Amino acid sequence: MTETIAGALPLGPAQLALAALLVVLAGAISMALQLGLERRLGIAAFRSVVQLLLVGYVLRYVFELESVTAVLGVALLMVATASRESVRRATRGVRGVSFDAFLTLLASSLLTTVLVTSVVVQVDPWYQPQYLVPLLGMALGNGLTGLSLCLDHLLESLDTRRAVIELELTLGATRWEAARAPLSAAVKRGIIPIVNSMSVAGVVSLPGMMTGQILAGADPVEAVKYQVVVMFLIAGATSLGCTLLAVLVFRRLFNDRHQLRWERIAR
Amino acid sequence: MLAGTESVLEVRQVSVSLGERARVAGLDVCIGAGELVALRGPSGAGKSSLLRVVAGLDDPRAGELRCRGRSPKETGWPQWRRRVLLCAQRAAALPGSVRDNLAHAFAYACASGAFPEARARELVARLKLASGVWGQTAETLSEGELQRVALLRALLLEPDVFLLDEPTSALDPDATRAVEELLREVAGEGGCALIVTHDPAQAERWCDRSVDVSIGDRS
Repeated sequence: MTETIAGALPLGPAQLALAALLVVLAGAISMALQLGLERRLGIAAFRSVVQLLLVGYVLRYVFELESVTAVLGVALLMVATASRESVRRATRGVRGVSFDAFLTLLASSLLTTVLVTSVVVQVDPWYQPQYLVPLLGMALGNGLTGLSLCLDHLLESLDTRRAVIELELTLGATRWEAARAPLSAAVKRGIIPIVNSMSVAGVVSLPGMMTGQILAGADPVEAVKYQVVVMFLIAGATSLGCTLLAVLVFRRLFNDRHQLRWERIAR
Repeated sequence: MLAGTESVLEVRQVSVSLGERARVAGLDVCIGAGELVALRGPSGAGKSSLLRVVAGLDDPRAGELRCRGRSPKETGWPQWRRRVLLCAQRAAALPGSVRDNLAHAFAYACASGAFPEARARELVARLKLASGVWGQTAETLSEGELQRVALLRALLLEPDVFLLDEPTSALDPDATRAVEELLREVAGEGGCALIVTHDPAQAERWCDRSVDVSIGDRS
C-alpha cells in the first residue's frame, strides 16, 4: 500500500459546533412538523458525541500501549456490546441466546478479522490496533445487523409456523428436516443486506471506510482496495455468523427427541 | 385389548401434564391389531395432550410407550412417529399442491418406499374429494378437505397405529361415513387406531371399545 499523502484537515471545537447546527436544523424540522423527536434527537446526538469521544480516547490509549492483551480486551468488549445489541433488536428471544450471539460474533467476526489482518493485509504484528480495531468494528457493525435479522426471522417462523413444523415431525421428519426451510430462510434474511450493499457499492453509495480513507488523503484506488477487502470480510463474517447463530438457536429449540420446544420462545 | 389379539400399542402408567397442571395420571392402555379404540373424557381432560405424548411430540411426566414391543428410544423418534402417526385436530397444510403434501413425507430420511401415486388417487376418490383437488394449493383447501387430505397422507404412510384427534369434526355425514369405512378396512388388515371423538354415537358405531382418559384399560 502507498503511504497516505496527508492527514485530513484537523477539526476544532468551533467547527464541531458548526456541524451541530445541522442537528439543530433537524430538531427545528421535528418541532415544525410536530414529530415529537426533538428530545430523542438531542439525547442521541449528545450520546454519539460522548461515546465517540470516549472511544477516541480509549483507542488512542490502546494504540500507544501496543499490547496484545489491551487490543484483545477492546475486541472482546466490542464483541460483547455487538452481541447484546443484536439480541436486543430482535422482537422475540430465547433464554441463552445472548451467549450464542456472543460466541457467534467471536467465532465469525473476530476470527475472520484476524485472518484478514494476518493473512490478507499481512500486518505485523497481526494485532496492530490501527488495523484490527476498525476492521473488527466494521465486521461487527454489519454482522450484528445480519444476526438480528436472522434471529428475528428464525424465531418468528418457528413460532408462527409451529403447526407445519410439528406436522412434518409427526410424518417422520428429523428435527433438521422439519426446520430446514425456516433455517435457510433465516440465514438468507441475514445475508441479503451485505449482498445488496456489495451490489450497489460505489454506484449508489461510497462505503464508509473508503470515504474515511479518501478524506484522510489516501489514494482513491488504494482506498478502493481496502474497501473491497472490508466488503469481503463483512460478507464472510456475516454469512458464517448467521449460519452459526441459526444452528445454535435451532439446538436450543429442538431437543434430541426431535421435539420443537416452542414455549422457550419469549414473545 | 380384545382377547387373542396381538398387542400393537402399549401405554403404560403414562402421566401427562400441561404446565403445572396434571391432566392424565398413570394411564394404562393397550391396543391390539385390528382394534379401533375411542378415547373419551370431558373437554380439558387431556385427550389431545395424551395423543401428542403418544406421538412423541411432547414428553410424558412419567410412564412408558411401546409399539410392537419397542420403545421410541429403540426405534428412534422420527421412526416412532412414522409408526405411531398423529392426525392433529386442526390439520395443517404443507407448502405446495395437494400432491406435494401427500408425497412430501416420502422424501424424508426415514422413508422406505416411493410415493404410491396410484393408491393416493384412488383414496382421493374414496374420501369424496373432488378430482380437481389434486393440483390445488393445499393452503386454499377448506377445513373439511384439509382434514381428509391429512387422513389420506396418514393412510399412505401405513403406520402401525393411527392417533386420530377428532378426525371427522369438519366433515359432512357422507364424508364421515367414507372415513369410517376406510379406517374399518385398515383395521381389517391388522391396523389399529386410538380415536378422540366427542360424538358418543360415532364412538359406539365406529369403534370396538372406548376407554376413559382418566381410567384407561381398568374401565
